Amino acid sequence: MTTLIILSALGLVVLFSEIFGYKKIVLPFIFAGLVAALAASFIDWNIGKHYLNEMMIVDNYSIAFTVLMIAITIVWFIISPGFFRDQGSRVDHFALIIFALIGAQLLTSFGNMIMLFLAVEILSIPMYILAGSNKSNLASNEAALKYFLMGAFATGFLLFGIALIYGQTGSFNLQQISEALTTQQDGGGVMAVAGVLLIMVGLFFKVSAAPFHFWAPDVYTGAPTEITAFMSTVVKTAAFAGFFRLFATCFSASASIWVNTIMVVSALTIIVGNITAVYQTSFKRMLAYSSIAHAGYMLMAIISLNGYAQQSILFYAVAYSVSSIAAFGILLAVSHITKNDDVASFNGLAKKNPLLAFVTLLAMLSLAGIPPMAGFFAKYYIFTAALQQHYTWLVLIAVLGSLIGVFYYFRVIIALFKNENSAAEIPMTGIYKAALLFISLVALVFGIMPGLLAGLL
Amino acid sequence: MLQFAWLIPVLPLLGFLCISFFQKQLPGKSAGIIGSLTVLGSFIISCGLFFHPASGGTEPVTITYFDWINVGSLKIPISFLIDPISCVMLLIITGIGFLIHVYSIGYMAHDDAFGRFFSYLNLFIFFMLILVLGSNYVLMFAGWEGVGLCSYLLIGFWFKNNEYNNAANKAFIMNRIGDLGFLLGIILMFVTFGSVQFSEVFSAAKGFPDNQTTIVAITMLLFVGAMGKSAQIPLYTWLPDAMAGPTPVSALIHAATMVTAGIYMVVRSNILYSIAPSTLEFITIVGMATAIFSATIALAQTDIKKVLAYSTLSQLGYMFVALGLGAYSTGLFHVTTHAFFKALLFLAAGSVIHAMSGEQDIRRMGGLRKKLPVTYFVFLIGTLAISGVPPFAGFFSKDEILAKAHMHSELLFFLLSVTSVITAVYMFRLLFLTFFGTFRGTHDQAHHLHESPAVITIPLIILAILSTLGGFLGLPAVFTEHHLFGNFLAPVLSTPAITSLAEPSHFFEYMLMGISVVALALIIYMTYDRFAKKEMVPSLSEAEFKPWYRVLYHKYYIDELYDKVFVKPLYWLSDVCYKIFDIKIVDGVVNLVGKGVVRGSEVVRLAQAGSVGIYIFAMVIGIIIMLVVNLY
Repeated sequence: MTTLIILSALGLVVLFSEIFGYKKIVLPFIFAGLVAALAASFIDWNIGKHYLNEMMIVDNYSIAFTVLMIAITIVWFIISPGFFRDQGSRVDHFALIIFALIGAQLLTSFGNMIMLFLAVEILSIPMYILAGSNKSNLASNEAALKYFLMGAFATGFLLFGIALIYGQTGSFNLQQISEALTTQQDGGGVMAVAGVLLIMVGLFFKVSAAPFHFWAPDVYTGAPTEITAFMSTVVKTAAFAGFFRLFATCFSASASIWVNTIMVVSALTIIVGNITAVYQTSFKRMLAYSSIAHAGYMLMAIISLNGYAQQSILFYAVAYSVSSIAAFGILLAVSHITKNDDVASFNGLAKKNPLLAFVTLLAMLSLAGIPPMAGFFAKYYIFTAALQQHYTWLVLIAVLGSLIGVFYYFRVIIALFKNENSAAEIPMTGIYKAALLFISLVALVFGIMPGLLAGLL
Repeated sequence: MLQFAWLIPVLPLLGFLCISFFQKQLPGKSAGIIGSLTVLGSFIISCGLFFHPASGGTEPVTITYFDWINVGSLKIPISFLIDPISCVMLLIITGIGFLIHVYSIGYMAHDDAFGRFFSYLNLFIFFMLILVLGSNYVLMFAGWEGVGLCSYLLIGFWFKNNEYNNAANKAFIMNRIGDLGFLLGIILMFVTFGSVQFSEVFSAAKGFPDNQTTIVAITMLLFVGAMGKSAQIPLYTWLPDAMAGPTPVSALIHAATMVTAGIYMVVRSNILYSIAPSTLEFITIVGMATAIFSATIALAQTDIKKVLAYSTLSQLGYMFVALGLGAYSTGLFHVTTHAFFKALLFLAAGSVIHAMSGEQDIRRMGGLRKKLPVTYFVFLIGTLAISGVPPFAGFFSKDEILAKAHMHSELLFFLLSVTSVITAVYMFRLLFLTFFGTFRGTHDQAHHLHESPAVITIPLIILAILSTLGGFLGLPAVFTEHHLFGNFLAPVLSTPAITSLAEPSHFFEYMLMGISVVALALIIYMTYDRFAKKEMVPSLSEAEFKPWYRVLYHKYYIDELYDKVFVKPLYWLSDVCYKIFDIKIVDGVVNLVGKGVVRGSEVVRLAQAGSVGIYIFAMVIGIIIMLVVNLY
């Protein structure tokens, strides 16, 4: 709760900086506020707490995800230094990012359907605006409009689903819904089934699972790279945290309704994401498809429904966001010089920019799931949890998907070490380098000592 | 002191990182100094642990740092076990390691890759310390593999010489065979006991009867690992070839520490081995065979380091015989004394090679004692110690093994005694051919002959003192009630049923000593007469060899045999597999799948046409299918 208050106050302070004219010093404010929020998150560790009539439930699960997302946001503020420097609306964008973060935090800790809906909207609306924040760029405008149109469409389903569940159980409170669904016969009848499925559709859209993923590649490509970085890490993590929280706790009693559907969607997402990524020549677009593929893997954790599922989805979220933000950080630095997003602009990077190449190498290895990176154990835990439920064919597809993944991630690694001298030296500030190196090392450390993280929940 | 235990392996690791990252920036000899200081730091902390009350024989201490792997029922923490066994190993590794580091500053002074050498050496010390400190088999295995890697890197240290690379490969591959056994042993252990933690495995093992099949299988598999690492028949041929590495490496890795890892492992698992008498019997046989077999080969070798290498094999055989008899502390005692005198001999040999500008063939040496007085003197002490002349270190530990063997079986005792005699013969042959008689090298070499600098001779002198006095750690019962070494280890060792507890009679002890002294005097006289006085130097041309000598010179043609039986057929098989299976089938399928994926990607991509209408259409179709399937 303290975290929520600090973040909200920070958002307002940033928003007002334009009016009261302290724009120049707003960045230090943001860092201080985020660090304070990060520290405040730990207050409730190991003490489960309810707030506002069980609207918000803070437990270790929500704290772990909140900490992860705030930390990623801090890194994001470090690696996006050139973010709209020449535009007047810079601080507004910063404020929107912080409001989105508030939505993300709520999405990890809701205890009520209304709160879920609010969280999704608080998270989404800033993202619609931010996707179009490069006003002079046509692609950015297109991305924002597409995102908004389809997002509105998906929100309708989410709300409809919530209404049906309310109609069946008479409550918005997750605890009461769960009890009602357990006691009612055959999981609550048609209304409950339809409700669960429609809520699922809304969330499938948010996590970009096939066939609700079509917005993702276009929006990810069209939006400014900084925003894409935020969308594919913080927003995605939050969406999954919420998805998992709702289904693995509230709807777990009526699992028979939705497990098979998620299984099929998960397999489809893995296949579509990986196969389409192979063909991409743009690094940014490749990351967009790869993020779809990763959504497929994370869906597997939701249907595992056992003791390992929670820790495996947290581990996956950490490994994935850390490596992704690193990959985007590199892309930002490189595309700043080469002015395009192609994989080819990484050619021969290792010679002139050994540090950048090293970070890229670690990020790609982690995303591909190669030991000793965290990405390996992330996949390992998820696959193990799924195997324990005997989803053998799904794991088989996931493993094949990872194999395909190796193909396009390694293309980047090969490009790094190509014997070309085309790459220029890429200037980076010390803190930028330190941030990139730090997150790569996090991915490495969790890969060598997964026990540090895996036993947390 | 216990709170500093983590620093013992971490210091050399820091040394490794520091040296390897800043190799180019480090001026002059500072890489060597950093390397030596980190090991010295570990040595000081190890000494502190040694005098800590907990290691004085009361309770072993386990320090857990954090969970390394935590998957299902498999929990592997990073935790160190500090007890008498690990304390002894720590002192050997860090103490001798430090001396050898110092020695290397002088020995490697003119090498271009001075920094690289010390970074590898520090990395080796790190892994070796992990191996002996780990409190579970997986951590031990991590160290086990790590030292194997460092051994590989250091054997092939001068990688421009292809023969050295082959030697490094051979060592690595042979160890791999052993490691597979070791790994299977660990897996079987996990399946049987549900844990790989020493304390849990050993307490669970107490409920098993003697010679239970699973226990025998586990111990045998673990021993296969030991056969690879400690170079026992049939996995021994890599060790003589490993002499391709720089001499300090031969002393540290291939004599004093790494090759004794197998013995450490068996001693550590003594509770398992004690309830598997058949495995112990097998260990005795393998150890005995290796001891006598390699001793005979050493008789005919002419490379100074090769003689020492075969002698190491033979001494390792001795140690395994002791373990096989259930005399674990005796085995570890011989590890200790052997570490002293074998490191000494190798380093002294290095000093000789250094003086001879790289020459290793003893047929081209001779008369060096006047030019290299210090080296000669310490080599003499090493020779006396290894041959078992009282009161030098080797005498007591060997005597103890012989006495235990006598209690067990007369045949074993006889074979060990013969090996002992052979050992004395080849060692004095080596000593006399190298340091006595007239100089047989080239004029140039004679001109360059010089005693090594102090940085080399001081470690030699310290090791010589240890080789002289080390034996008093374990005086036999006939002199004193207090076997220091045995008592120190006693609390953590078990006694298998096959070991007779009876102490050898005092009469037998005296007789043993008397006979060995007389026999040694005879051997020294005979070898002196033959190699020093009459200078019967082995011929440089093979044609003049007698048939038996030729067989020994060619090491019983075992390398050629392995080549014919294993290596050639394997190459043939892999060639066939490559040409038919790999290129045609595997590559074909892979390429086909790859093409399929790319083609599929092209098609799927078309759906991403950019039109919101199509996207929403796809979503709606998806929703309809979902609802229809689930509601009807």
